[in-house]
Amino acid sequence: MSVLKITNLHVAVKDKEILKGVNLTLNEGETLALLGPNGHGKSTLLAAIMGNPNYTVTQGSITLDEKDILAMSVDQRSKAGIFLAMQYPSEIPGVNSADFLKAAMNAHREKPMSLFEFYNKLQKTYKEMGIPFEMSNRNLNEGFSGGEKKRNEILQMKLLDPKFALLDEIDSGLDVDAMQVVASAIKEEQGKGRGFLVVSHYARLYDMILPTRVAVMINGKIAVTGGPEIIKKIDTTGYEWIKTELGIEVEKDEQPMNKVSIGVCATREAVVGSKK
Amino acid sequence: MNVTLVNEQIQDATFEIKEGDSLVLNLAAFSAFPGATITVKVAANASFRGAFADFSNGEGKFVLKVFLEGPGSECDWHLSSLADHSDKKVFDTSVAHLAPHTKAEMSNYGITMGESHLTFTGVSEIQKGSVKTVTRQAAKIIVFDPLCDGRCSPVLKIDENDVDASHAAIVGRLNEDHLFYLLSRGIPLPTAKRLITLGYLKPIEQYFGDQDLMKKIDDSIEEGI
Repeated sequence: MSVLKITNLHVAVKDKEILKGVNLTLNEGETLALLGPNGHGKSTLLAAIMGNPNYTVTQGSITLDEKDILAMSVDQRSKAGIFLAMQYPSEIPGVNSADFLKAAMNAHREKPMSLFEFYNKLQKTYKEMGIPFEMSNRNLNEGFSGGEKKRNEILQMKLLDPKFALLDEIDSGLDVDAMQVVASAIKEEQGKGRGFLVVSHYARLYDMILPTRVAVMINGKIAVTGGPEIIKKIDTTGYEWIKTELGIEVEKDEQPMNKVSIGVCATREAVVGSKK
Repeated sequence: MNVTLVNEQIQDATFEIKEGDSLVLNLAAFSAFPGATITVKVAANASFRGAFADFSNGEGKFVLKVFLEGPGSECDWHLSSLADHSDKKVFDTSVAHLAPHTKAEMSNYGITMGESHLTFTGVSEIQKGSVKTVTRQAAKIIVFDPLCDGRCSPVLKIDENDVDASHAAIVGRLNEDHLFYLLSRGIPLPTAKRLITLGYLKPIEQYFGDQDLMKKIDDSIEEGI
């Protein structure tokens, strides 16, 4: 059984420490929901696992089946079986979607696949994701709507067949129908034994994909782990109980400037507000 | 009228496009850099569409001067250039709006590799009285290697109020986010760079109707990167 293990992980972005000692283990076949207030490090954790160069690991380790992930390049991590569905997938001008998918799929195999096999697989997966096949001829994510980009992420996950899929707010920007398509694609993959680490703010997605475990990230650490009942608790009462029950002070997102509205003396408001 | 000039056929020339006429000028260079000056004069309601696929080697300056002389005249220019080794290439593409309701779009795209130098200059000038003129200038160079040099300096000279003018100049390395996206799908770094570069140069092909020429441009891009 495959295991993704994160031990005492510290991650900084431009000298600011975001993750301050994360410990988390994800087993094959598990779906772990990662919750927490904005700015507390959920996306940072996912980006660091994938190896985004903007995030520097300053301490700790990440292993996949006891192999050191941090020693691998980004493409090696993908080939080792990690997939990140991004919150904001890049629009890449001039790069044809089908060419990109072929390059990605071939990178995951010893021998390049035949064109026939490739197009069959491509057509089938586009259909399953409810994306018109013509879109495979468009530039990667260029001019795609928010929902199309997210479906396109799941499409890539299906084609690349990772051991662990990290989904960063895959449900944002999706309408009800698209949400159904994405959720049933995830459920199908769960059935194949894939491990999921899912970041979302909404109980709706979790209701559909039924996580096996829940972790809550507060102040750059995992504050609490437990069963799916935590999702309901957070959905109805927010994060206040973290403080009252666990005694952890939840750091607020920094607001560098006081919010002002047009019509007041904005400069004065901002200055006075920032001194408060 | 359609004119296609390849390699040494690209020489100093002046084209005059009569009222209501159009000229499509396709240039392609694969051997020595063509240091030529091409002048295009566009009369009322006439249009000029130019495309230049430059995969040549050497040094020199290519100059394009477009004069939009009549009301309603238009200019649409696209360049893709690949500079490598010790190339030193300068592209100076200018347009002068001398009449009202004239329209110009100039876009220059380049890649500089090895120890090459690539420079895009050009002036978009709008003369007084050329009201309702639209002019756009875009220049973008991707710098691949530590020893190469890319420069863009587009200039707008405007002597009329009622116009719509913009310019953009970007010189930079390959977009890190784009690279990360491709790498995160398991695509190795050289292939990822190749895909992005292809996507950057390849769009010039759409202006060339000639299949053989398109194939040659394709091969040059593949070979170059």
